[in-house]
Amino acid sequence: MSAADAEAVLADALSAGSLELGEVARLEEVVDRRALGEVCRSFFELFSIPVRVFSSEGALLADAHEEQEICRYVNTLGNGRRACSKLVSEVKGIDPEAGAVTHPCFTGAEYRIVPIVYQGRRLGRFVVGPYMPAERREVPRSLLVLDARLDGEAARAALQEMPRVRAETIQRIGDHLARVLDLILFSGHRAFLTSNMHLASVKESFRELVDKNTQLQQAVDRLRELDRLKSNFLATVSHELRTPLTSIIGYSDMLGSGIGGELTEEQAEFVETIHGKGEHLLALITSLLDMNKLEQGTMRLHREIMPARALIDDLQKTLAPSAAKKGVILVTQVGEGTGTVFVDPVRIKQVLFNLAENALKFTPKGGTVRFTANVTEAASDDDGFGSVLLSVPRRAVEIGVIDSGIGIAPGEHDKIFDAFYQVDGSSTREHGGTGLGLSIAKRIVEAHGGTIRVESEVGKGAAFYLTIPDPDDA
Amino acid sequence: MQLDFKQRELTIKLVYYGPALSGKTTNLQAIHELVSPESRGRLMTLETKDDRTLFFDLLPLTVMAGKGLQIRVKLFTVPGQVIHNATRRLVLQGADGIAFIADSQKSETNANKAAFLNLRQNLTENGLDAAKMPLVIQFNKRDMPEVRSDSEIDEMARKGREPVFKAIALRGQGVIETLVGLFELTWRRLEKDHQLGQKFGVEETQLLADVRAKLGVKRVAREATR
Ligand SMILES: Nc1nc2c(ncn2[C@@H]2O[C@H](COP(=O)(O)OP(=O)(O)OP(=O)(O)O)[C@@H](O)[C@H]2O)c(=O)[nH]1
Ligand SMILES: Nc1ncnc2c1ncn2[C@@H]1O[C@H](COP(=O)(O)OP(=O)(O)OP(=O)(O)O)[C@@H](O)[C@H]1O
Ligand SMILES: [Mg+2]
Ligand SMILES: [Mg+2]
Repeated sequence: MSAADAEAVLADALSAGSLELGEVARLEEVVDRRALGEVCRSFFELFSIPVRVFSSEGALLADAHEEQEICRYVNTLGNGRRACSKLVSEVKGIDPEAGAVTHPCFTGAEYRIVPIVYQGRRLGRFVVGPYMPAERREVPRSLLVLDARLDGEAARAALQEMPRVRAETIQRIGDHLARVLDLILFSGHRAFLTSNMHLASVKESFRELVDKNTQLQQAVDRLRELDRLKSNFLATVSHELRTPLTSIIGYSDMLGSGIGGELTEEQAEFVETIHGKGEHLLALITSLLDMNKLEQGTMRLHREIMPARALIDDLQKTLAPSAAKKGVILVTQVGEGTGTVFVDPVRIKQVLFNLAENALKFTPKGGTVRFTANVTEAASDDDGFGSVLLSVPRRAVEIGVIDSGIGIAPGEHDKIFDAFYQVDGSSTREHGGTGLGLSIAKRIVEAHGGTIRVESEVGKGAAFYLTIPDPDDA
Repeated sequence: MQLDFKQRELTIKLVYYGPALSGKTTNLQAIHELVSPESRGRLMTLETKDDRTLFFDLLPLTVMAGKGLQIRVKLFTVPGQVIHNATRRLVLQGADGIAFIADSQKSETNANKAAFLNLRQNLTENGLDAAKMPLVIQFNKRDMPEVRSDSEIDEMARKGREPVFKAIALRGQGVIETLVGLFELTWRRLEKDHQLGQKFGVEETQLLADVRAKLGVKRVAREATR
């Protein structure tokens, strides 16, 4: 049964009020036809009296009879046939309201018609007969005058075949059958209600589920909207902050360079502080904005193919001055056949700069920082079903930023990529920073379809590697 | 409710609600035993599991009252177990009155409260006005140890606006009083909304007296709530 069918059945059941009030509207709804047929048959076998069950609309629901000798005989006569069919339709038409009634046949036989009442409602009737009242001895005149060709002796003989019952017995038989039918109705009614309740309960539970789902969906939508508002807010505020901040940095720079006239040592120091803090604040705002874009997935990458060596050389050039100042040696190493990478140069330079800045920050004087680039294979991040077929190995370039500094305990390796996370310790405090560098780096690398990892132990330096795969159709 | 003016027939639906195992089915069983055979039909129990109701029990009653008006009363129980809420809501559809069967045991206080809140919610969800619904409350299992005392219940009854009955359904005590109490409330409500008395040409005092007598109030000890 399809869902729509089930729904229709249910709507029927409910609208008829049969479920709501537990009523039976029609006999056919609840009664098991086969059980009804069997009861009638066994009744007939027991008493040899025919039984028929009718619905309240007059439809025949069960029938157990054999043609009586007298009926067969009467039906051989023209007038007999007509009288017989008239009588049968009369009997069928009787719908006793106030209790069982008896209806006579022109043969002298009788029919008993008993209403079927269930829970105070008339749902149909059953007809017992024809039978011959035991009290009747004579062949009635109504039979003798029926047809000119009627043979009195033959009719008498045929009538002898008919089951004879006393009025009081037929009443008892009727009552008994009514009780049996009531039981059949009761169990049929129970089965009917049970199956309807099953159906209705399942449907009701389903409706409830759909309701809850809708509510959840609305909650999710609301949260999404809030999230979007937060992002917009962040973007707007950052932008609004950046404009005046750029002015502050610009003017303090000009002041510091003496454009506005010579400064005293103290003034120069103040201006220097203003400039430094301004730069720091600008960097922080830029990072927050980047984070937000990355979270939103709205950071657009402008990827191009460029030599890996160019990236390494650029990095070396940018970092050389601060490395020299700190007394740290920079080394670059580009493996053979490294060739090109497919990246957004601005973003990847930002990543490499962050890593290199960290390396310098956490490597004491006299240490070494190496920048490397080599060809490798992109790690397949999918080891699920069918991955053999689905993820074909791809060429990738691995860029390393390796230092000989203080190192990172293995337990911290995952955490340092979280936003705002910094390893506890005096070295970190002494170096300041916000703890955003690595988390931004990780997101940018992942936006390239690449990975970033760290190898390090405390006191043994740290090595950060990022792997950038070639494009799919390479 | 169903009206049939031609047949002079009124059918109403009364629902026995309450927490699991509070004695709803037992109430119907007791009513079936106490009401005279000509007024009651068969008690129908739809599917049970370890004697816990899964769908509902149904007991039809028929009483002739006030000048040949046939009053058919359908008593339903709901399944009390929390998980059968969808079924409970279905059975509640079209209810004309509710008997809330509470468990008197102190340990069941919270279960009673939760079931009552659930009733209120299901009424609302079925679009029925909880404030107008005829409701009586029965504190059942008065024979158990550790129950709320009579004076406590009387105190609560004074504060509340619903009629409160005490019962030991297992011994048939208090169940007919609860039923008759609910019937009276329900009749008055229907009377107010539909002017049944006038339409059927029956007089309320006479009708209620007839129903009380037919349901056999006299057959039960008056001090059932001993
Ligand atoms: N001692 C005592 N036990 C009772 C009384 N009424 C009911 N019980 C018992 O409490 C148990 C639960 O009764 P039920 O009538 O099946 O409870 P129910 O409210 O229909 O429970 P669900 O169908 O699960 O909602 C049965 O063991 C009853 O015999 C009472 O007045 N006193
Ligand atoms: N090369 C490294 N050697 C030792 N520790 C490191 C190294 N790189 C990162 N860390 C540890 O990881 C933490 C997180 O680094 P991250 O770059 O995210 O933040 P930060 O450098 O502290 O601040 P920011 O980069 O925002 O200025 C650092 O605070 C530091 O504790
Ligand atoms: Mg950093
Ligand atoms: Mg029950």
